[in-house]
Amino acid sequence: MDLSFRKSSRKIWQTLSSIKTGVILIILCVIFSAAGTVILQRPMTDPEDMQRAYSPAMLRFLDATGLTDVFHARWFVALLILVSFSIVAASVERFPNSWRYFARPYKSPDETFRRALTTQSHIAVEDEEKGLGAAERALQKLGLGSERIVRTNSFSLFSERNRISEMAVYIVHASLLLIFLGGIVDALYGWRGFLMLTPGTASNQVEMNNGSSKALKFAIRCDDAGEETYADGSPKKWWSKLAVMDDGREVSKKEIVVNDPLTYQGVRFYQATFGRTGKLVSLALTATPANGKGPAQDISLGLNQIAALDPDTKVQLAEFIPDYVVQDGRVYARSNDVVNPAVHMIVTSVKNNSAVNVWLPEIPGIAENATSPYVFEAKDLKTGIFTGLQVSHEPGQWSVWGGVILMALGLTLVFYVTHVRIWVVPVSDGHGHSTLWVGGSANRNRDAFEIRFRQIVAEIEKELKPAAAAAMERQARAVAGTASIAGR
Amino acid sequence: MARAKVEQHPATGAALVVGVGLSIAFLLFIAFLNVVKSGNLLSEANLLYAALVFYAGAGALYLGFGVTGTESYIKFASLATWAGLIANSGAVAHRWYEAGHPPFASLYEMLLSFVWTLAALTLIAEKKYGVKVIGTVTMPVAIVGVILMQLLRSEVRPLVPALQSTWLHVHVTLAMLAYAACALSFALAMMFLIQDKVKTELFLMATSIFTVGTYAAILTRFERWGGFNVVAWDAENKSEVFLSRGVRLFVTIPDLGWLMLLVFCAVAAPLVLFLLARVRKDDGFLNLANRAVFISILLQTLALAFFLLRTRDGRYPSLDADGLYATNLAASPFILSALVGGIFANLLYLLLLWRRDDLERLLPDADALDRITYKTICIAFPLLTLMIAAGAFWANRAWGSYWNWDPKETWAAITWLVYAGYLHMRITRGWRGRRAAYFAILGFAVVMFTFFGVTYLLPGLHAYA
Repeated sequence: MDLSFRKSSRKIWQTLSSIKTGVILIILCVIFSAAGTVILQRPMTDPEDMQRAYSPAMLRFLDATGLTDVFHARWFVALLILVSFSIVAASVERFPNSWRYFARPYKSPDETFRRALTTQSHIAVEDEEKGLGAAERALQKLGLGSERIVRTNSFSLFSERNRISEMAVYIVHASLLLIFLGGIVDALYGWRGFLMLTPGTASNQVEMNNGSSKALKFAIRCDDAGEETYADGSPKKWWSKLAVMDDGREVSKKEIVVNDPLTYQGVRFYQATFGRTGKLVSLALTATPANGKGPAQDISLGLNQIAALDPDTKVQLAEFIPDYVVQDGRVYARSNDVVNPAVHMIVTSVKNNSAVNVWLPEIPGIAENATSPYVFEAKDLKTGIFTGLQVSHEPGQWSVWGGVILMALGLTLVFYVTHVRIWVVPVSDGHGHSTLWVGGSANRNRDAFEIRFRQIVAEIEKELKPAAAAAMERQARAVAGTASIAGR
Repeated sequence: MARAKVEQHPATGAALVVGVGLSIAFLLFIAFLNVVKSGNLLSEANLLYAALVFYAGAGALYLGFGVTGTESYIKFASLATWAGLIANSGAVAHRWYEAGHPPFASLYEMLLSFVWTLAALTLIAEKKYGVKVIGTVTMPVAIVGVILMQLLRSEVRPLVPALQSTWLHVHVTLAMLAYAACALSFALAMMFLIQDKVKTELFLMATSIFTVGTYAAILTRFERWGGFNVVAWDAENKSEVFLSRGVRLFVTIPDLGWLMLLVFCAVAAPLVLFLLARVRKDDGFLNLANRAVFISILLQTLALAFFLLRTRDGRYPSLDADGLYATNLAASPFILSALVGGIFANLLYLLLLWRRDDLERLLPDADALDRITYKTICIAFPLLTLMIAAGAFWANRAWGSYWNWDPKETWAAITWLVYAGYLHMRITRGWRGRRAAYFAILGFAVVMFTFFGVTYLLPGLHAYA
């Protein structure tokens, strides 16, 4: 029973670490991710739109299977975890071999290896020493360098570059795992929410996406906020002057804009939106007596504020509607955007014991501007603004960025750094004829390597020639010398 | 099965050249009118027109080679590509200067950059890798890009706050380079299949399936009584007409639907004949299929012409609202690309059919093309990786989260996975040759969906382009 358990666990391990499994898992990821982009997803879509797009039966099915929120569904997360396991298993399975290959360079090739190697060449030399010396010089010239490997009777040469390239693929996969790890940490411990502030207020309550509220250990105060627009009205810049209050003390200050957040204790505040609350802050008016007798007055009113125009008359700002629309003889607010503002003021006169409803603009059928003792003209309108801040805490992002950098390194090694090995082994055939066996191997870009190898061989042959020429010269001198001796 | 030898059609070949020549003359005339109208020779629109004319010229010359077999046409095509690139660079510089930022903020600007990169990479591939006919595939894509650009909103739009960031430039530059490299790998993979002696009939099948699929997608706009639905266009605001948030208003062009249906049958004919040839094992059907391709090109051109004419003039009724509304080519960029793309794909097939031997002679051998495709993907993949990383970093700074499973992000990840799959299969399983080529073609199809499909079919946060 123990044996069968081991056998089955071995089988499971083999399946998990096989490339086939990896490919199948990737295909499944692709299919479900694509489904998540085509099927309407709940977090982002209005429930009404969802009901409009799918029949009730279909919607029930999609909800039950989790297809309406694919990327947060348990089985999708499980799939991603399975992908991570498969990467780990595949790497662990293959790593020992690669490590052996990496840690113990094959410096002295035996005969079987030499016979089998694809990239090789033979150079005839008259003397082993000289041949190896020439090869050393040639490799040096080409920037390759070499080390002498001691053999039984002589030595051979071994030159290699960029052995790290053999580990490249593990670096890439490790970086993927780092990224996944970051994602998982953020999914478990990270959070995102929203915080709306009007200038002058402070808050430590963040509204989360699911409706709940999270209290931060510190507060954010908004000192000022503003918007700059282009000529056509589209937004150019949104900014907020924020201050962090920790324990009642102001700890840090920053003016943030979109793309430039404030960070404090790992929590980031992003300038996300900007808007008008639609609430009146103040309205500046000029009031001129209707009968023409008397000077015009400049007054400023807030909501429900009363101002005395003269000992007899008072005006109160009763209503401010940012975007008005008239229906059935009543004035309604269509939205909170300051598009079509209307003000309702009540002018009371003690003497006449009257109250007149003045509307700016003068809404027909509702406004009684004609009977008002004063004529009003609006000069300046200040409405409330709010700044919308996106708040997020992502502890795992460092793992993600670390993974990205590591992947950049890994991919560079995978594609652009080749592990090159050159061997030069003196071979004598027993008849006193020596040859230099030159062999080479590269783990990628083999066609470019072939060219390089030819260069190396040519360089070695070039190095050998002066020796041959020198030898011939010595021979010639020797002959001449003998002749001269003989001649003497 | 003996391979059917299709004889040349000198008469129809001449008709093709005349047709192409007339189109270029037409375009030049329009360009001349524009210069006269604006009084400005070197405006961005004119430079773009010049680029279009030159790229179209290059494309036409490649086709001319296809018809006549004159090799010097290829040299001139290369020169035309150079000229187009210079004009294109002028347009880019002009745009950059006017806008005050590199051209990356809208679909128009991205297409401008993409076409420029495509032309540049084409010339690099010709010089460095010696693949002199790569323009046959990349130039049509560039032409479609420039035509699309002519229709999209081209006024310089100032950037909304989220787009004002260096990371935007980094992200989009990487995207353009990556997608152009993927386009190149697609072209090379196709050429590999040619050199790998894939039967011409199979190219017929693939082209036919592509065109049929395209027209099937077009026919989703078919309205019951033969009308054709297009999005209404508001000429004043230069934008599509919306009924409510995210819901476009469609108008129905009468009778155009029948024409599209007819052309659909015409493009389905070669596929049907191909299948008949397979089933009946009769090559005579293949000959018929090839003639059917030629006829379908003529009909597709007709469909394009009518589409252009009907969308330019006239106001049409809508099923969703009262009154008549105008439409515009700019409201239907997808349909236009589909129509033009279909014509080009079929023309390329004819090029292969008539000039296969010449192509095989001019192209590097299969092994070399296989390796070059792999090398191109080795360039594309790191670029894709960096593009996604830069996008994530920028998203983190702008929206507080580096990954939102936004459709564009998700499809970019899918693209990345497909190319990672290609590399895995090649490196660890030793996949070479045809299987690798098919994989590369699949990868490019996913790239095109990520770039175009997501924008028009699946909106989201990435609403800028």
